[in-house]
Amino acid sequence: MADKAPSLTPSVKKTKIWKSVFRHDFADTPRTRLQRIFGNVFLHLHPVRIAKDAIRVTYTWGLGGISFYLFLVLTVTGILLMFYYRPASSLAYQDIKDLSFAVTLGQLLRNMHRWAAHLMVVTVIFHMLRVFLTGAYKPPREYNWVVGVLLLVMTLFLSYTGYLLPWDQLALWAVTVGAQMAANSPMLGNEGPFRLPFITTTNDARFGLIGGTMIGDATLIRFYVLHCIAVPFIFSVFLCVHLWRVRKDSFSKQTGEKVDVWPHLVSREFLAAILVTVILFVWSMVLNAPLEAQANLNVTPNPSKAPWYFLGLQELLVYFDPWIAGVALPTIIIIGLMAIPYVDTNPKGVGSWAKMRWRRVGPIPVWSAEERPFAVSVFLLGITMWFVLIFIGTYCRGPNWEWYWPWEAWSHRRIAKMTLKNIPNLWGSLLVGSYFLLGSPIPQKVKAMLSAKAGPRAPALASAALHVGLGLLISAALFVPLLISPDADYPSRSRYTTLFEALGRCRNAPVVSTMYALVQQLGPATGYALIAVMIGLVGLLLGWAGMRFAKLKDRLYDELGLIKYSVVISLLLMMMGVLGKIVLRLAFGIKYLISLPMFNFNI
Amino acid sequence: MQADLWRRLDERFGRRQFLLKSGWACFWIFLGGWLLSNLRYLFPNVLYEPTLLFKAGKPADYPLGISEKWKKTQRAWIIRTDQGFYCFWARCTHLGCTPNWFDAENRFKCPCHGSNFNRSGDVIAGPAPKPLWRCAIKLADDGQLLVDKARLENRPGPREQGDFFLPYTRA
Repeated sequence: MADKAPSLTPSVKKTKIWKSVFRHDFADTPRTRLQRIFGNVFLHLHPVRIAKDAIRVTYTWGLGGISFYLFLVLTVTGILLMFYYRPASSLAYQDIKDLSFAVTLGQLLRNMHRWAAHLMVVTVIFHMLRVFLTGAYKPPREYNWVVGVLLLVMTLFLSYTGYLLPWDQLALWAVTVGAQMAANSPMLGNEGPFRLPFITTTNDARFGLIGGTMIGDATLIRFYVLHCIAVPFIFSVFLCVHLWRVRKDSFSKQTGEKVDVWPHLVSREFLAAILVTVILFVWSMVLNAPLEAQANLNVTPNPSKAPWYFLGLQELLVYFDPWIAGVALPTIIIIGLMAIPYVDTNPKGVGSWAKMRWRRVGPIPVWSAEERPFAVSVFLLGITMWFVLIFIGTYCRGPNWEWYWPWEAWSHRRIAKMTLKNIPNLWGSLLVGSYFLLGSPIPQKVKAMLSAKAGPRAPALASAALHVGLGLLISAALFVPLLISPDADYPSRSRYTTLFEALGRCRNAPVVSTMYALVQQLGPATGYALIAVMIGLVGLLLGWAGMRFAKLKDRLYDELGLIKYSVVISLLLMMMGVLGKIVLRLAFGIKYLISLPMFNFNI
Repeated sequence: MQADLWRRLDERFGRRQFLLKSGWACFWIFLGGWLLSNLRYLFPNVLYEPTLLFKAGKPADYPLGISEKWKKTQRAWIIRTDQGFYCFWARCTHLGCTPNWFDAENRFKCPCHGSNFNRSGDVIAGPAPKPLWRCAIKLADDGQLLVDKARLENRPGPREQGDFFLPYTRA
C-alpha cells in the first residue's frame, strides 16, 4: 500500500458528507456484517443472523424473494410504460402500437412487463406450493398464510386488470367474460340467482365494475386506475405485512448452526435477482408480448381464449353456470385456501419438505406423504386438477370451444352437434344429496353405543350399510332417470321422446350411447339386464371406495371436532364433486342435475 | 348488596359508558357511511353510450333465412321466415361473447365456452342457461325495419308475438 500513489478514497471517506450518509465502515468484520443489515432501511427487514438450513436454496428455492423482485420489476417497467400510454379507447391501442414500433426500447419494456407478470403468477403459485409442502403455514404462521393467499388473489387480479389496457381482442373478450361473471353474482348481479328486487342492469355488480352497461371508455379508465394505482397500493400494504410477519412469526426452520445474513443470504438474493433479470431479458428479446387485433365489440375471435392462468377458470365455466364457476367456486377456493392452517391441526411436518413414499391403499398404490398424508394428498390433488383444467383449456379446445386433441388440426367447418340434457330435479337432488351424505362420519361415541347394544361387529356393519347404501343410491339416481325419463325438450327442441334415446343417439355422451347400443343390439331383455348389473357394480364400487375412506373420516372427525370436520369434508366433497360433474358432462351428456330456471339457479 | 348492584349497573350503563359508547358509535357510523357513500360514487348517473335503436333497411331486401348483414356493425341477426321477421341480439346469454352462425349445422355456436343455440334461439348444448335474446322489431314510417336492442325478450311465447315478431308475408 505504501508505495502506491495516495488514493482519493480515504480522504473522501473522511468528509462530513460521506459520514452523514454511511454510518459505518465496510471492512468485513463481524461488527460491520451486522451493521450492514440493521443500518440499512431496505436490508433491515432481514434478521442479522439466520439458521443455515433455512436459507438452503433447495429448501425455499427463493420463490418468495423472486416473487417480490418480480413485483419490483413490474413496478419499474409499469411506471415507464405509463409515460406513453393514454387510457382512452380511441388512443390506447395506437399507443401500444407506438410502444412496439416507434418508441426506443418500448417493445422490450412491454415484453418485460408482460413476461414478468406471467412469471410472477408462476412463482407465487410455486411459493404457495413450497410453503404448503414444508408445513410452513402451521402455528404460529397461520395468519401470514392468509395474507399470502390474499397476495395471490391480488396478483391474479392485477393480471386481469392489466390485460384490458392494450385494448385488443384478447383484452376485450376476457374482460367481457369477467364482467359478465359479475352480472351473475348471487343477489347483486342482474342475471344471478336470487336477484334482489331492485337490481337492474344499470345498478348491478357488473355496472359498478365496468362503469356502464357496455365495455367502453369508462371501463378502460377504471381498469387503468385499478391496475396502476389502487391494487398495487393495497398489494404493497399487504406485502409489508407479509414480509414483516415472516420475521415476526419466526422462521419455520430454526434448527442448526446460524450464519450472518450479510453476506450469506444477501448474496443469494442478489444472485437470484440477477438470474431472474437475465431470464427476463432473454425471454423478452426472443419473444414478443402478444397483441391481437384492435378491440371490436361485435366480433369475437374463435376460439376466444383467456391468458393461460385463467384458462382453468374458463374451462370450469363450460361445466357450471357462471355464478357457480365464476363466483361461488373461486370464492370457496380462496376461503378454503385461507382455512387450511386453521383446520389442519396436525403439528407434524414443519420445516422440511414432505417426505413422499409409495403406499398401498387396498389394491391401489398411492404416492403420499409420510407425516401428513391426508393434507398433502388433498392439496396436491387440488393443484393438479387446476393445472389439468388449464391444460385442457390450452391444448384441447378449438373453434367453438369444441374438444380437439392436441395432435388434431382445428377446423372451422367440422360438424359437431352436441346434445346436453338435464336430469329431472328429483333424481338430481337425490344424487347430490346422497353424494354429500357420503361425508357423514360415524363418531367414536356412536360406535361405542352400537357395539354395546348390538355386539362388536355392529359398527362395521353400520358403516358398510351406510356407504354401500349411499353408493347404490347415487348409482341408481344417475342411471335410472337416464333410462326412464322423458325428454323435456320434446317436441320443440328434440326429436326423441326419451332422454335415453336422445343421449343414446348423440356423439358426446359415450356412456349413454354405449348403453343404448347394448339395448339395440342385444335386445331389451339382455341389454337392460346387463345395464342393471352395471348399475349395481358402479354402486358397489362407490360404496367400497366410501368404506376405504370410512376409517379416515371417522378418525378425522374424532380429531377435528364437528366444525373443523364439516369444513374439511365439505371442501373435499365439493372438490371431488367438481370432478364428478365434469365426468357427468363429458361421459353422460348431462347439463344440470338440479335446475330452477325461475331463480336462475342451476347445478 | 343493593348498593353494589347499583354501582355495577352504573359502571356498565352509566353516563360515562353511555357517552363513550355513543361516541364510538358515531365514529363507526360516520366512517362506515362515508366508505359506503364512496361505493355509490362508483355508479355513474349519466352514461354516454351509443343508441340501441337502428334502422335495418327495407324488409323486401331480406331473403328467407338468417341475415348476418348487421352483425359487425350492430351486433344483431335479422331472421326472415315465411311468417315474418324477428331479430336476435348477437350476444351469448352465458357470458356475453358473440356467437357465430353455422349454416351446415343449423346452429349458432359461441366461441368462448361452446354454447349452441338453434334457429329459434333455444339452447341445445353448452353452458348457456337461457335462450338468445330477441329485440323489439317493427316497421318505421319510411318502410324500413326498426330494431330496438334495449327491449329484449327470450321467453318462449311472448318472444314470438307483439313487438318481438313482425308479421310479413309479401314476396
